[in-house]
Amino acid sequence: MSFAAVPQPAGPRLLSRRRLRVLALPPTVLLSFVIVAIVLLWALFPSLFTSHSPVTAVPTQKFLPISSAHWFGTDYLGRDNFTRVIYGTRSSVLNAFVAVGIGLLVGGVFGLLAGFLGGITDALIGRGVDVLLAIPGFLLAVVLVVSLGFNTINVAIATGITMTAIFARIMRAETLKIRQSVFVESSYLQGGSPLFVLFRHILPNAYRSVLALAVLQLGNAIIIIAAIAFLGYGSPPPASDWGLLISNGANYQQIAPWLIYCPAAVVVITVLSINRISRWLRNTN
Amino acid sequence: MSAISALGSETADPASGSHPPDDRIGVRSRRRYLLYALRRVIQAIFVIILAYVITFFVISVLGSNPIQTTLSSPQAGLDPSSIKKLEAYYGVNGSILHQLWLGLSRFLRGQLGTSLQYHLPVSKLILTALPYTLKLGGMALLISLLFACLLAYGSQRFPLAAGRSFIRSIPSFFLSVPNFVIGLLLIELFSFHFHTFDVLNPDNLVGTICAAFALAIPISAPLSEVLIANLDTEGAQEYALVARSRGLTEAKLFLRHLVKPSSVPAITMFAIIIGELMGGALITEEVFGRTGVGTVMYQAVTTGDAPVLQAVVALAAAVFVVANLIADLVAPLVDPRIELVGPRAAGGLVRGLGRGFQAGNLLGSR
Repeated sequence: MSFAAVPQPAGPRLLSRRRLRVLALPPTVLLSFVIVAIVLLWALFPSLFTSHSPVTAVPTQKFLPISSAHWFGTDYLGRDNFTRVIYGTRSSVLNAFVAVGIGLLVGGVFGLLAGFLGGITDALIGRGVDVLLAIPGFLLAVVLVVSLGFNTINVAIATGITMTAIFARIMRAETLKIRQSVFVESSYLQGGSPLFVLFRHILPNAYRSVLALAVLQLGNAIIIIAAIAFLGYGSPPPASDWGLLISNGANYQQIAPWLIYCPAAVVVITVLSINRISRWLRNTN
Repeated sequence: MSAISALGSETADPASGSHPPDDRIGVRSRRRYLLYALRRVIQAIFVIILAYVITFFVISVLGSNPIQTTLSSPQAGLDPSSIKKLEAYYGVNGSILHQLWLGLSRFLRGQLGTSLQYHLPVSKLILTALPYTLKLGGMALLISLLFACLLAYGSQRFPLAAGRSFIRSIPSFFLSVPNFVIGLLLIELFSFHFHTFDVLNPDNLVGTICAAFALAIPISAPLSEVLIANLDTEGAQEYALVARSRGLTEAKLFLRHLVKPSSVPAITMFAIIIGELMGGALITEEVFGRTGVGTVMYQAVTTGDAPVLQAVVALAAAVFVVANLIADLVAPLVDPRIELVGPRAAGGLVRGLGRGFQAGNLLGSR
């Protein structure tokens, strides 16, 4: 944790031990990284993974079950469900990144200010966080989406706003903990300015916990965004957000269950992988 | 956490080192507790008011005067005189602060306004739906508690190490499954395959239990993580070692010594669970086609019924705050080591949430 307190010669050895740790990655973590990488590739280059169109209807191929030609079957318009899932990844997953980015940036800055400045700033921000946390997050996100307009990017913004409180809280706790450590005191004694201490000592030491939280919240954001899209408050069809696909599939649950369970499995596997990575980050802290 | 703060108080407060007569301790600690309770109650009221203000700004300012928009749209089907009446009631022609004052002062007196869609008092809409949501939520609460206890017990006492580590990975799996997916899966199984309930009439026992399960599973995850983490911590304490050396079996140690201290932080989780339940009810009721407060909110979103939205969200916040208040008031009674005053005191309202959250999601391994 306290690298600054470690004498210089120990530096390289620490580094090599770290490198070894990466090599000895647990297999489930490695698999999780592979899955997340595939999902990110789907989000960035959907056309590389499928030759079908996500929007063009093929009336002769309605409700085809899972086969080698249609991995996830086809829907009520004969569209390839796998293609729909892949093209929905961008808005489902990248918006989760947007949400966490907003939460991390806004919450992180407020938490840092509260922990670093203390006093009245801390008290004010603390009260604000308390109030924000008092409104059940999902309901707040829904109300925000209603006011901003039904659109997945707005869902991401709303989700991000509801997450700021948690990020502020953890950032404040980390900052407070580090601010009281001996190496920060010694840095001040050596003439370090508050800004120098902030960027040289506090941020580098706080980032690991905050990163673990951010990864955890990423999985959470995917679920919240899917849930809001499931309720129909995301981008309207022909968008194919994962949540929207599941809610459309629910209309045909008895004749075409693959329309629900294939996108659902993608959501679960993605979030599970992200949570595994988060747990690994947390435990290797 | 509480153990650390208790240590801190002992070193900081020399009075606790001496031994005044027992009744004096009782009186002093009781007075201290009452002061603490009073402060908590006042804080709670402030947080409820501010939560109303935030909700109002999100709905009415960010949503650019939705009441006016809904009233003037032809879909509302209102005659000009009742539009005038509703406009006057909500003060939509006045300034935004005036509207806020009207809404907030009425909210504090228990008046929630009139629905723009049903032309009924909002309180009546919510009260009609409330019993269904209470039934669902209560059942979900029980199921999630049961699940969490089973998982926590299994994580400590399951005979095989592999089984124990498998049990420890279950909460993370529960966290990864959206509750609407669980709901659809249960409908598939119990309605379409076993025909135990009809999706068109979901308010029978099996239907309610299924909905409660869908709601409970994601909620039981953080709860069991906190319980497991606390059991780990408490089991590694010296008193547990002493108890073992006295020849206590693991089962007796678990029941007599570990359960109570481990459940204190779980009590502070109570409020989070209530909050999650209210968010989850919106989805679960929609998936299962049930009536309830969630459905009321869903329809309010669809029809742009701002007063209903405002009331449901503000009430949800109030319920959350009150649940948190109860947890904060009960926790010191269960664990007397929790400090009530001073800088390390249990902290502001909902600070329990931070503790629960850290223990549950971030520092679970400690």
